[in-house]
Amino acid sequence: MENHTAAEQSYNQSKEQLSLLQTITIEVAAADHFSSALEVVLRRVCEKTGWVIGQAWVPNRDGTALDCGPVWFCGNGELRNFRVASEASHFRLGIGLPGRVWESKQPAWIEDVRDDPNFPRTATARNIGLKTAVGLPILSGDKVIAVIEFFMRESRSKSEQLVKVIAAIAAQLNLVMERKRAEEELSRTNEILQSILSNMGDAVIVADKDGKLLVFNPVAERFFGPRATQTTPSEWSRQYGLYLPDQVTLFPPDQLPLTRSIRGEEVNNVEIFVRREKAARGLWVRVNGRPLRGPKGERLGGVIVCRDITQFKEEEFFRAGQSRVLEMIAADAPLADVLTSLVLLMEGQAEGLRCSILLLNRDGKHVRHGAAPNLPEAYVKAVNGAAIGPRNGSCGTAMYTRRPVVVTDVMTDPLWSDYRELAKICGLRACWSTPILSPQGEVLGSFAMYRQETRGPLPEEARLTEIATHIAGIAIERHQQQEILREREARISLAAESAELAFWILYPEQNAAWMSEKGRLIYGFDSNLPLTCDLILSRVHPDERAAVKAAYDRSCALYGTFESEHRLLLPYGKTRWVIMRGRCLKDEEGNLLETVGVTLDVSAQKQADLQLQVQREEMAHRNRVSLMGEMTASFAHELNQPLTAIANNASAARRFLEHGNIDPALLQQLLQDMVADSQRAGDVIRGIRSLVRKETSVHALLDLNAVITETVRLVSTDVLSRESVVTTELDPQLPQVEVTLVQIQQVLLNLIINALDAMEGLPPAERRIIVSTRSDKGDVVEVSVRDFGTGLPKDRPDKVFDHFFSTKQKGMGMGLTIVRSIVEAHGGTIVAENAPERGARMIVRLPAVRGQTQTIAAA
Amino acid sequence: MSNPIEAEKEVCLLDDDLSVLKSMHYLLASEGFKVRAFSKAADFLVHASTHDVPVVVTDIWMDQVTGLEVLARLCAISPKTRVIVITAREDLAARATAMAIGPVAFFMKPFDDEKFIAAVRDALNQSAK
Repeated sequence: MENHTAAEQSYNQSKEQLSLLQTITIEVAAADHFSSALEVVLRRVCEKTGWVIGQAWVPNRDGTALDCGPVWFCGNGELRNFRVASEASHFRLGIGLPGRVWESKQPAWIEDVRDDPNFPRTATARNIGLKTAVGLPILSGDKVIAVIEFFMRESRSKSEQLVKVIAAIAAQLNLVMERKRAEEELSRTNEILQSILSNMGDAVIVADKDGKLLVFNPVAERFFGPRATQTTPSEWSRQYGLYLPDQVTLFPPDQLPLTRSIRGEEVNNVEIFVRREKAARGLWVRVNGRPLRGPKGERLGGVIVCRDITQFKEEEFFRAGQSRVLEMIAADAPLADVLTSLVLLMEGQAEGLRCSILLLNRDGKHVRHGAAPNLPEAYVKAVNGAAIGPRNGSCGTAMYTRRPVVVTDVMTDPLWSDYRELAKICGLRACWSTPILSPQGEVLGSFAMYRQETRGPLPEEARLTEIATHIAGIAIERHQQQEILREREARISLAAESAELAFWILYPEQNAAWMSEKGRLIYGFDSNLPLTCDLILSRVHPDERAAVKAAYDRSCALYGTFESEHRLLLPYGKTRWVIMRGRCLKDEEGNLLETVGVTLDVSAQKQADLQLQVQREEMAHRNRVSLMGEMTASFAHELNQPLTAIANNASAARRFLEHGNIDPALLQQLLQDMVADSQRAGDVIRGIRSLVRKETSVHALLDLNAVITETVRLVSTDVLSRESVVTTELDPQLPQVEVTLVQIQQVLLNLIINALDAMEGLPPAERRIIVSTRSDKGDVVEVSVRDFGTGLPKDRPDKVFDHFFSTKQKGMGMGLTIVRSIVEAHGGTIVAENAPERGARMIVRLPAVRGQTQTIAAA
Repeated sequence: MSNPIEAEKEVCLLDDDLSVLKSMHYLLASEGFKVRAFSKAADFLVHASTHDVPVVVTDIWMDQVTGLEVLARLCAISPKTRVIVITAREDLAARATAMAIGPVAFFMKPFDDEKFIAAVRDALNQSAK
């Protein structure tokens, strides 16, 4: 019976324990936290299996000891003392019951704690009457995460069965813990995700495949406004103010990145301009989208991430704006337009900002309006023309002091005392002005920022000012330089036009050319005719065209400059004389880029020159004719001599024949002489004719001594008839000269006849002329004609060369003028001086020709 | 040479122009005159000082000296010499001067040969008287 009872008892016990296990498993599984599960375990084990205290131990943070866990169970009254004692205890590895279990990772059973040597809490246990104890590890893997212990008042031997049940329960606890920890982990991950979504700088929007917005993080709300739950994808663009980059066209809803990602597309870097209805400024977002797919690849929806690139875009726009302004400067846009664009660009960079640019006049004392598109007109007008100075508002002071001037409140700042009322009317409160300086440090103007609130510039505004003054400086300086250039060009052009100068540029590579209006007039081109190099060349007279072209090519290649005097043949046969001068511009490799130059119309001058030459020749001719008159005696004598001989010889021959005693040899002689004298007479006639003929100069190498001898002989009869003597003193070593014979004879005749005239009042014995030659230096041949007459005007001997100067009653006063022009045309000089004793000496110096021995005899 | 006077007496010629001198020589020779020609005045004056010169035909315009000077000298050396002046240039002053000294004839070159020869002949005959 007892056995039966024991067996039955055992069976009942087991059954009870099994039901306990079942209950606890269900309860533990239902517990939503490890601590509540632990509490269930401790309580149920005590209630169902006869323990009075159950508590847990957990390793402390650094893992050196076990501390008493917060969850425990105990029965009534004094048992709490044990709990107090436990809470005060800490067990190292192997110490006490918890320490032993911790170390062995195995359950431990103590029949009576009073007998156990390794039980530090034994005193308290004895006082309360605790005897049996059991400890079990709770393992996660092979790590002890907690130790639970139970106590009872009875002393009981170890029940393997009970230990197994409790161990099984503990294992349940471990499972629960694992599960709970996983759940906690998951929830923590969710929290992190949520946190990321809430705190990240990018907007994240997730939609399901129907376009229902599942995720719309706070940044998305900031970008796009509150999540609209009732709108469909086709309304998103309008709902959220989504535009294409042109900022005005609504983004096509079916092309929105989220729509596309829901459709299954990957979307990369799409830029959207967002401007919500009530927002003052729009913003720019760059969007990336990805489709969301289920495990089997089915489409679940889409996700987009939007990044705010407004600042980047604005900087990009700002940079592009700066480039535009710089391009305007480079394209020589009007300064007012450039500065206005610059001001507008700056104003666009900050809310409520108004800017202006003032220019400093060339007088350096007054300002003039530059650009202020958004300042009141009254203000702009009032400032225009104002003087600069140490207390002249922000700009006037900035230009005067060459330093930035920051006025945070124009209503109180002393600099603004003169402009306060104006500023008030115009609603301006703060004005910060910075001088615009050229690279050389000259003040060109000022750039000012105005605000309606009282404050100083923000760092961003200071940066804008720096950029604005820099660009404005470039623009103004360039404009000034171009103005100076234009003025200079205008002056040059004016001077050129009045000087009959034509400007031209040739571009030989392109066969293109440019020519000023005056040039077109000279060359006979219409104003609007497109010019080429060939066209210009075609105007050159055909006789000279090839030579001009060749000279141009050669000069440009060799010297880089070109000069030519030639004729132009214009349509309708008009001829012009021009001088062309050019300079070649070459690149670094020496290729000819262009030739710039001028053409001077010298037709009038040329005409005058030709006229003058004709006149000079006419005068010279008249002079020679008049010389003939002076030399009639000589010519008559010269001619009558051979004629006399001929007549005599003919007469003699006739007489010999009449007398019939003619010797044939004598007759031969007479005839021969007649022929010779005829020729001589012919020579005389030719000589006279050559002197009288209007011949142009033909230079020849001549022996001047021979020319003098012949000329003196020619004039000898007249010299004799005037009871004068001409003697010659000729240097036998005289080099040759290259002269026109007739002209040199003319010079000599003029000088000799002048000398004769000068001595008319002298007794015949004193009437002497000395013609001498010499060549001291060898490169100059000197001829002097000296008389012993009345001499030259004492004060100015060279007066004799003046036109119409004459001491003679019958003289024209042209002789010596002509003599000088002839001598100078031969590259020589003539000097008139008074000779040492008395009389005059005319000295002609002509360039000698060395190394020539051949002499061409005077005719 | 019908006239013995003409054959005996020399006619002197003075002209610095050789071809003229030579042609006059031929012209007078063709009429049988005995002729002595001089191209230099000095040579003639020497001759006139040492010889009887009944007639001289002289040029006025010569290189070194004028015929007028020769005439003046001749007047002193041989006052009886008849002088015939020939000149290539019309010059009234020279003519007047010459006539004052006393030539018997004055001819402009070129001259009429008949009149010239007649003049020479007359001069010779007169000198013979």
